[in-house]
Amino acid sequence: MTPSQINIQNETVPTLFWRRVHDWADNTALRAKVYGIWRKITWREYGQKARYAGLGLISLGLEKGDRVTIISENNPEWLFSDMGAMCAGGISVGIYPTDSPQQVEYVLNHCQAKFYIAEDEEQLDKVLEVRERTPHLKKIIVMDMEGLRHFEDDMFLSFDDLLELGRKMDEENPLLFEQRLREPQPEDTAILIYTSGTTGPPKGAMITHSNILNTMDMQNEVNPGDETDEVLSFLPLCHIAQRTVSVFAPLLTGGRINFVEEMDTIPQNMQEVSPTIFFAVPRIWEKFYSSLILTMKESTRFEKLAFKWATGIGQKLSDIRLHGQEPPAYLKVLFKFADWTVLRNLKKVIGLNRARYCMSGAAPISPDLLKFYHGLGLDIREVYGQTENCGPTTVHYSGQVKFGTVGQPLPRAQVKIAEDGEILLKGPHVFKGYFNDPEKTAETVIDGWLYTGDVGRIDEDGHLIITDRKKDIIITAGGKNITPSEIENQLKFSPYITDAVVIGDGRKYLTALIMVDDENVMKFAQENKVPFTTYASLTKAQEVVDLIQNEVEEVNKQFARVETIKKFRLIDIQLTTDDDEITPTGKLKRNFVNEKFKDVIESMY
Amino acid sequence: MSVMLKVRNIETYYGPIMAIKGVSFDILEGAVVTILGANGAGKTTILKTLSSIMDPEKGTIEFMGQRIEGLPPEKIVAMGISQVPEGREVFHDLTVKENLLMGAYLRNDRAGIKRDIDMVYDYFPILKDRTAQLAGDMSGGQQQMVVIGRALMARPKLLMLDEPSLGLSPLLVKEIYQIIERINQEHNTTILLVEQNAPMALSIASHGFVLELGRIVMDDTCQALMANEDVQEFYLGIKEDSVRGAKRWKRKKKWR
Repeated sequence: MTPSQINIQNETVPTLFWRRVHDWADNTALRAKVYGIWRKITWREYGQKARYAGLGLISLGLEKGDRVTIISENNPEWLFSDMGAMCAGGISVGIYPTDSPQQVEYVLNHCQAKFYIAEDEEQLDKVLEVRERTPHLKKIIVMDMEGLRHFEDDMFLSFDDLLELGRKMDEENPLLFEQRLREPQPEDTAILIYTSGTTGPPKGAMITHSNILNTMDMQNEVNPGDETDEVLSFLPLCHIAQRTVSVFAPLLTGGRINFVEEMDTIPQNMQEVSPTIFFAVPRIWEKFYSSLILTMKESTRFEKLAFKWATGIGQKLSDIRLHGQEPPAYLKVLFKFADWTVLRNLKKVIGLNRARYCMSGAAPISPDLLKFYHGLGLDIREVYGQTENCGPTTVHYSGQVKFGTVGQPLPRAQVKIAEDGEILLKGPHVFKGYFNDPEKTAETVIDGWLYTGDVGRIDEDGHLIITDRKKDIIITAGGKNITPSEIENQLKFSPYITDAVVIGDGRKYLTALIMVDDENVMKFAQENKVPFTTYASLTKAQEVVDLIQNEVEEVNKQFARVETIKKFRLIDIQLTTDDDEITPTGKLKRNFVNEKFKDVIESMY
Repeated sequence: MSVMLKVRNIETYYGPIMAIKGVSFDILEGAVVTILGANGAGKTTILKTLSSIMDPEKGTIEFMGQRIEGLPPEKIVAMGISQVPEGREVFHDLTVKENLLMGAYLRNDRAGIKRDIDMVYDYFPILKDRTAQLAGDMSGGQQQMVVIGRALMARPKLLMLDEPSLGLSPLLVKEIYQIIERINQEHNTTILLVEQNAPMALSIASHGFVLELGRIVMDDTCQALMANEDVQEFYLGIKEDSVRGAKRWKRKKKWR
């Protein structure tokens, strides 16, 4: 059955999922590594596990609309739990596995969760620490029982026990599951997505079945996928982008989801899977770029020339194409040759040699970076949107990539610019509101228009250009409006800079806090005989400061004088996703950084 | 105190595998310094590089103002660097005394050698009782004493010890460590100590480095290291118990 034969408006996530389990029963739905070997999971198995998980939850007392939280790295059990909870009529809520016990407590209480499905001991300990203060919580379910064989507790059971409960219930009442999965209506909330609020506590966005299926449909119309697609799942599933890519999009396309083993193995897993569609955040694209550039730095002169020649042809070709013209035949032949001799190998290194198209989203990316990838012959498109509209709102359509913009609105999505420049959205993808927070909802959705908090404009071709977050715009002491993200993106383009925060609101001039790329800067230090011991001493080495100074000056050249960085400091601690200053997708959080490094910032003024 | 050993950006390989990925540090004269690290962190490789058993691909090593990287190992010993290898590598078929004399192989001042043998016997009286016994027939602790004694016979200015506590009873470990402390105090011998037994090493050293995967991640006084959360959890085995009363999982290392 092809997607067009299904009327999305009559379906919910569970009903569509169940159709797929029947239609595609023997197709591979998921793959994950077990003891180092890729193991496939068919739609039939996916369906059965989700069915037992759902029925298991019902036998433990899940009622329609109850919240089920999941806290785990990406794995098949995540999806079994997610689908199971939704099929049983529950609302599925992902919690970041990097969250602290206090953050877990906040989410559990805010959504009044009845269930907590945890990956392992570590996630179990978090809830045990706070459960006295989470009165709604009924059961804790743990996937990985390592180290817990002898642990007994009235609230606790293993994921296998849950499936077994579900199996028994299925035997007793074989019709129950399909009854329950037809109960939710398209307008009912399917999932809650907690946004990592940089200001104030996180808010739970209510995403309905209709939101999800419409968004997938709109997106698929523009950038279609099919059952031959291979997708790599590695960004957190609690984030809307990865959730749609790994869980919801395959319901339409039938693409296969491959789970990475862990964050450190992404490069190897990329090469093994060689995804055909690849979505990543700018940080990952920056990382690939740096590793390619540094590989080229260490190569022979001949290889360097070949690289320059090949990417030159690639860029020429993509330039012509992106201007809507047909490139001359000789250039196409030349590119084929360049691809065959040079570019293909480079793409193999990063595992993108089979990619039909790639996407970048969830944060702004430097246009130069996109140009670089197009030069390699990779069709990389930018997508813009937010949790509150279930992910994508605008995207570069196939063959209509325009650098510096985030593309055109998806079909059936309306975009308009308010008088003050704020971007407003309307369409079937706009969410229902924030859970238990009518006030915030009323501030965010007015007359059906979603106020994004982003400022931007629409260009002559109908492409959306984002200026910045409304609240991030810097007004200097001189009264000049400056959009920091533009400068920050240029800084991040340097292989030595991972992220930067530009400061200057109400100040005389701009400064920046810079997080260096440890791998590349250590390499630099080694090559230039700069002694260092720890990360902190590395960031204090004069040669490293000079190196970054050069990078900053290069960026400064591209901007007007008021927009140049006058001073900067390097962040001298290695931030990890456990830290508040960084988001689970690896971005520096402006507010936290400004607070934590207050003294450092003051020292620059 | 002046800087005795200056290590800059050394990189050492085992075939294609980079074991030391750019390490720099200083050791002051007369200090007791320790390098902590898990299995495979590169601790032994650093010692082998310093004593020139392995050559660094990159980087420089300066000992008392002189470049020593790449010199033959016997030159290094003659200059005053001795290594006590891991695993008590005695000459099994030689007697205790012969083993000790092997340590003085490069010397020919008979009177001095005699004095130093007495010094070793003073540190380890048991060796004096067993002077004619084959080293291979001795217990692990005694073999460790022979190896340390043998290294002392070269009159080192810098004594490098690789896991001296490995496989020894707690009581013996304590004894060996007291003697290492005495050697440092009585002869102003600089000590570089590589250990997995972090509590012991931190108790006698003044400065320490934590090595992870061929890189230094911490560089501080031992007092500060002992107070560090990560060192406590990963090297000293101190951790908060979870609500369950049992906790096996480890949080992420941060090293700050």
